[in-house]
Amino acid sequence: MTINVTNADWNAVAPIIIVAITGLLVLLLDLLSPKNISRYAAILLGAAGMIVAGVVASLAYWSPAYVAFGGAFIQSGFGIVFQLIILIAGIGSLILVRPPVQNERIAGATALMLWGTCGAMLMAGAGNLMVVFLGLELLSLALYCLCGLADRPSSRESALKYLILSSTASGFMLYGMALLFGASGSVAFADLANPALASSALLWVGGGLFLVGIAFKLSLVPFHAWSPDVYEGAPLPVTAFMSVATKAGTLAVFARFMYAALPAGTADRLLLPIWIVAAISMIAGNVGMLAQHDLKRLIAYSGIAQVGYILTALAGGTHLGLRYAIYYLAAYTFMNLGAFAIATTMSGDREEGSHLANYRGYGRRNPVGAALMTFFLLAMAGLPPTAGFLGKILILSSSVGAGYAWLGVVLIIGTAISLYAYAKVVRAMYQRDEHVHAFEGHAPAPLAWASAAICFVVIIVMTFYPYTPSNVLPIVK
Amino acid sequence: MSQMMAVPVSYYVGLSAVIFFIGVAGVLVRRNPLIMLMSIELMFNAANLLFMAFARAWLHNAGHIFAFLVITVAAAEAAIGLAIVVTVFRSAKHVDVDDVALMKG
Repeated sequence: MTINVTNADWNAVAPIIIVAITGLLVLLLDLLSPKNISRYAAILLGAAGMIVAGVVASLAYWSPAYVAFGGAFIQSGFGIVFQLIILIAGIGSLILVRPPVQNERIAGATALMLWGTCGAMLMAGAGNLMVVFLGLELLSLALYCLCGLADRPSSRESALKYLILSSTASGFMLYGMALLFGASGSVAFADLANPALASSALLWVGGGLFLVGIAFKLSLVPFHAWSPDVYEGAPLPVTAFMSVATKAGTLAVFARFMYAALPAGTADRLLLPIWIVAAISMIAGNVGMLAQHDLKRLIAYSGIAQVGYILTALAGGTHLGLRYAIYYLAAYTFMNLGAFAIATTMSGDREEGSHLANYRGYGRRNPVGAALMTFFLLAMAGLPPTAGFLGKILILSSSVGAGYAWLGVVLIIGTAISLYAYAKVVRAMYQRDEHVHAFEGHAPAPLAWASAAICFVVIIVMTFYPYTPSNVLPIVK
Repeated sequence: MSQMMAVPVSYYVGLSAVIFFIGVAGVLVRRNPLIMLMSIELMFNAANLLFMAFARAWLHNAGHIFAFLVITVAAAEAAIGLAIVVTVFRSAKHVDVDDVALMKG
């Protein structure tokens, strides 16, 4: 089989190439400048690259799906929506990079974050297992380094834990991919959807191992133990990036696998473990959140539950479910980035103020920041004036419509439990406290404030003008 | 054809499954991060063996290309992994992941 590579193929991956080249450019400028590149220059260049990539990507949103590089990469509405969410996550976390990530490491941090974004974008558009693996590893390798970026033992520890556990999960996923290749004789997703494979043992074992890898990357419950530790140890912007980009990329792969790569009739049986695991995650994530005293750990457990909500929308495999899942993922992106932006404004030169004790009296010291944080937490909990509430209503409606009402019931129970945990942060902020918990070197963070303000506005807009992307199916031509 | 496939593909699947589970057991049982990384390489290589065997069985070269990709990625992963292990254990006398437990919960 020969593959003719045309300009249209390169256009399909142009956004990814732009982001990758921006990463190289930042490193080059760092090399050429007499001192190190300044923090603002690196961040603004990186963000500009990602904005350009986002514009280029969205140009193709309404054009028909294009299968590039002989099926390796698929440019379609589905992939583009996920790529945009990933780019937003990349920008929103890149502009939070500040001490304790030292200035001499800023170029490396920016480049790694850009390349991690590339990896997640590749996953969003992957048309075969090879590109999935490449994107996943590009994202993961960048994240291992990013986790260890801050100069403290907990950061290095989180890098080691993430390295070992995530590589093991990659091993499972890769072995599953090898078995899937054996089942179908092709690495393309589209060739797996062959009815003749419905009873192939290789497909079932391979699909199972593949889903174990997916569940790990999504931090679903039996495979979630890494996420609180890694989130806590990693620098704040990296945690923000991990909590959104990894999940968005992996969800894109999962949705593509589920909607386009399974033989008819097998989805219900093969994916049942995933729905059960999603239900357990919604309960266990929210219960685990109750015991946490650190904002990053709390958000890690919250993320475990939130992924369960998104999977609830996907259960049943309906078109509406996919649209609502994307809406909720977008809302989740903005509320997470907003919460991390506020947390960033509190971090000092040496320490990140993510322990809940540091939030005592914050409502008095900084009423605006406390109000914004409260808003983002209410959105995560899914209370009415926010996109989180609307997203949950949409998810409930789609799960009931698809015959997975039991998942909807678990979602409601999980939400009820989570309210207490989110309220714990709010209570801490408005508690009266005589001690001042300001850190030394408490530098102003204009970019973080801007990010929080933008997230606030976007969530409000999303609430009153809910747009769910209609151009996402069919996923694979 | 029968000459070429003297060894049936199921033998390769069996061998690679054994290698894979040795790798999994290594990650679960051993506490030395270097040996854990080696066990992970073993898991990757078990998958490689499977890719090669299926590429032969299906006469489809995607398996070969995938194996090259995996080798490249595994090399990058080993480089980054060793760098991280060195930064974590630079000042430690023994290399044991049980000593790295600041965060729990």
